[in-house]
Amino acid sequence: MSRTEHLKSLGYDVMPNAGTEVDPREVQLWFGPQHPGITGNMSVQVWLEGDTIKRGITHVGYLHRGFEKLMERRKFIQSFPVVCRICVAEPDTNEYLLAQSLEELSGMDKDVPEKAQWIRTLVMEMSRLQATLMVLGGSVGTMGMGTAPNWTYTLRDFVLDSFEELTGGRVYHMYTTYGGVRRDLPTGFALRLEETLKKIDERLPYLDDLIFHNEVFRMRSIGVGVVPVEWADEIGITGPPLRAMGIARDVRRDYPYLKYPELDFKVCTGEGSDIYARAWVRRQEISESVSIIRQILEKMPHEGPYSAKLPNMLTWTIPRGSTYVRAEASRGEMGYMMVTDGSDKIRRVHVRGPSYTNAITVLERMLPGTNIADLSALMVSLQTCPPEIER
Amino acid sequence: MFEINDKTNAPARDHGTDILVRLQARFGALESHRQRQDLLRIEVGQDQLLPVLSWLKGDTPYVQLTHLTAVDWIEEDRFELIYLVTAPALFMTLMISISIDRVSATAESVFNLWLQAETYEQEINEMFGIDFPGSPRQGVPFILEGWDDMPPMRRDFDTVEYCKRTHPERPGRDHTDPRTYVGKKFGEKGYLT
Repeated sequence: MSRTEHLKSLGYDVMPNAGTEVDPREVQLWFGPQHPGITGNMSVQVWLEGDTIKRGITHVGYLHRGFEKLMERRKFIQSFPVVCRICVAEPDTNEYLLAQSLEELSGMDKDVPEKAQWIRTLVMEMSRLQATLMVLGGSVGTMGMGTAPNWTYTLRDFVLDSFEELTGGRVYHMYTTYGGVRRDLPTGFALRLEETLKKIDERLPYLDDLIFHNEVFRMRSIGVGVVPVEWADEIGITGPPLRAMGIARDVRRDYPYLKYPELDFKVCTGEGSDIYARAWVRRQEISESVSIIRQILEKMPHEGPYSAKLPNMLTWTIPRGSTYVRAEASRGEMGYMMVTDGSDKIRRVHVRGPSYTNAITVLERMLPGTNIADLSALMVSLQTCPPEIER
Repeated sequence: MFEINDKTNAPARDHGTDILVRLQARFGALESHRQRQDLLRIEVGQDQLLPVLSWLKGDTPYVQLTHLTAVDWIEEDRFELIYLVTAPALFMTLMISISIDRVSATAESVFNLWLQAETYEQEINEMFGIDFPGSPRQGVPFILEGWDDMPPMRRDFDTVEYCKRTHPERPGRDHTDPRTYVGKKFGEKGYLT
């Protein structure tokens, strides 16, 4: 059955032919893939009556590069430049999950030095911080207010400066590797990172005024885009959309990994499960990330190796096995289902990104009744990320 | 207006054994492997899949489908389907695995248990050619619109051959294969002599 036939069988008027009866009040609109309001390379096909969406379908496939298949044909070490591209805004989660899953299956996870684990925790939290800053500004930017995203993107760029100093790359880092990380922290890195954290701290009250005390944002976000609490388990929602329902779940606390159990942090929740609540959860998480990074810089050892002794990466084989590892990305639970077969290549890897449910199952069910002007804000607040859907 | 929950101590994570005992009491002996404290792998028969998952969702705290994927074990002539079912209240995940015949490649849909399974099943249908009768989006392209070759995630799909066939080199173009290039530049041995 073709897509057109299938959609017609569900009652959709897909590309209606001449002679087919179409509701004259209905307008069909492709929102994306090239639209400033769309989150990345995806599109939402919506049917409108006036400016109200009657129904809609998410279309992905513009960005598929076959990463999972590529990894099946590569040596383990060759997969790092591939996985970081699964999420452009937050690549470090992918690097950590790839390393952790294969370390677990090979038994190397016990050899990862203490210092490397602290540095990995630092990188993961810096990654969450810069991605959350980007999305917080984006939430307001989609409503036509450009100042907040300018500020948050500037702050994000300061964090990316630190990434550049640490890894050599601003966006894609390829820094985490098997057994640890690629290099040690540069001299004086902590001081320069602290300068960035201070800048963020200083700017946050202004951002609060600009976003959360802004009457336009409040009117357009409170009570808009409400995700029903019943969907939490039914659909498997994670991350800020879940915590905005008031449900305090966080992989960092519930399934402790790296050095998070040694850190003191709060799981921020909201009330109302609307766009405002999700933005507020992210605003709180920025403060928490800043606090966590400071704790890491204070507690991490300054001496010791930053990587375990690695086997020959060209001949490294991993026994047959399968595992699922997870980490808390800024969008929610990111997971890697990893299967090895005793050879020198991955047998099967499947990436579970939070957008997989948020951008398709959740979004499609929320579209009916939504105003077309709120669609961008809804997508950003769900933090839909097409590359992790298509991989 | 908003509540910020304090960090709480996670409960003791010994629920894997409990659920395995309950599963075996109800469904007979099942092969299992404790991968981690919070991850238990259980193999069930194809006909047991729906009863096991329905029971887990209805009568236990394992209410959330976290993940669903397939593995092609071509040398054993079977596909493996892996369902990750999580109990958020217990911080425990079950990796329920079934084997299905590689030729007939059909499995029961769990869409009626979890809504988001339709997307996972749609992707597996497209990438592996496994059918889930009753799942709403079977046969509807997910990522590969206009794809007319064998499902690409199958192990016998040859990516190199596919690329050569669908993207042939233009005549008259310089060869950029690294081995040929290095051979031309440095001699047949591939290094400066």
